[in-house]
Amino acid sequence: ENISGLSLNITDCTQVVVPEEVFFTVAAAGILENLLILIAVVRNKNLHLPMYFFICSLAISDMLGSLYKTLENIFIILCKMGYLTRHGDFEKKLDDAMDSMFILSLLGSIFSLLAIAADRYITIFYALRYHNIMTLRRALVILAIIWAFCAGSSIAIALFSYEAATVIPFTILFPLMMFFILCLYVHMFLLARSHAKKIASLPSSTIHHRTNMKGAITLTIFLGVFLCCWAPFVLHILLARFCPHNPYCACYMSIFHVNGTLIMCNAIINPMIFAFRSPELRSTFKMFYCSR
Amino acid sequence: MSALRLISNRTSQQALSNSDYTWDYEYYEYGPVSFEGLKAHKYSIVIGFWVGLAVFVIFMFFVLTLLTKTGAPHQEFRMNSFVADFGRPLESERVFSHQMAEESQSLFHFCINEVDHMNKEKERQKGPSLESKTHFQEVPKSNGMFEEDLHCLAKFNIPNFVNTEQNS
Repeated sequence: ENISGLSLNITDCTQVVVPEEVFFTVAAAGILENLLILIAVVRNKNLHLPMYFFICSLAISDMLGSLYKTLENIFIILCKMGYLTRHGDFEKKLDDAMDSMFILSLLGSIFSLLAIAADRYITIFYALRYHNIMTLRRALVILAIIWAFCAGSSIAIALFSYEAATVIPFTILFPLMMFFILCLYVHMFLLARSHAKKIASLPSSTIHHRTNMKGAITLTIFLGVFLCCWAPFVLHILLARFCPHNPYCACYMSIFHVNGTLIMCNAIINPMIFAFRSPELRSTFKMFYCSR
Repeated sequence: MSALRLISNRTSQQALSNSDYTWDYEYYEYGPVSFEGLKAHKYSIVIGFWVGLAVFVIFMFFVLTLLTKTGAPHQEFRMNSFVADFGRPLESERVFSHQMAEESQSLFHFCINEVDHMNKEKERQKGPSLESKTHFQEVPKSNGMFEEDLHCLAKFNIPNFVNTEQNS
């Protein structure tokens, strides 16, 4: 280890700082959007379906992520202004609590996406028995189990975040879940496509092509957005655990705040690709918030 | 495990935790890092990661579009048989879109009846038909415009997924 004083070379990777205004705007937009969705689903009785409850779960986890970033920024500002000490015990506990909130948000997002994919899968492959398989009560039980598991894991990960034993499963879980969700969607996608083919005997192939392109684009957007927003942070955790003193890793870790902003952008984009694609929810929105 | 190594682990962990709990933008600087003698560009991990991610997403997109072209014939769907009977060639989309809307309403009611019939036959639970009715009722309400007739018929069978996917 090189402990011979700070090397202030020009080639040093300094922390890339995101302006606070950008941070707060993005965070506030994310929180607001997801809160509106929650309120819309709760108030409209027509939306009390398992599908919308899973979308709500995703909205809650996005809100938690943005909330975490907002609180962290506020605390940094308070520390700069001198209201909070930097090495106190209270601050350490607060930091642990906020870390666990953040990891809870990540795990909640992953599991909510999984639940949404599984719900759609059951809708397609067991359409006639869907209402018996996925009752409202079962959906709520599934959500309770998911959130209890996420809460427990997040507290464990936050407390033992220096152990490799927590970092490795955490980083393996992420691509594994993504792959599983991708498989579910591809399977659904194939069936929808072959079904559409069987139903319509249209001679022109352009309509097929457009339909299928649209499906491919939708799927790519679903998973691409999630990957692009969360993978940078997951890689950061890996590098911080395994090579914190390597200059290349240090340069990657210097863009930590950009990665954080990406996660908040995910909170803004997720409602657009999940919640707002449902016409019922869109019309509820217009009814509640536009025509007043 | 010698005691020396254990101590050094602890001190390094302490050093980490000390720098961790400074509430500053230098949150993740774990101590001085020398940047001399780097062979590749210092941001090579950043660039490599993003390029890799972009390549992966594009690759996934191409795999999906390939799947659409050479997609495998799939398992039989229960409602396939009677809905497929109603598929027929159409000359143009716009002319028939309104007609299809009305037609699809009647097809829709037919589907409802078929579903009720199947449910009553197969299951002896109370009110699955009611539930399926209310669930399928959601479909015509939410679909104001039928852009492509292909989807009109497809929508009956796949209430949740195809609707939310195609109605963008």
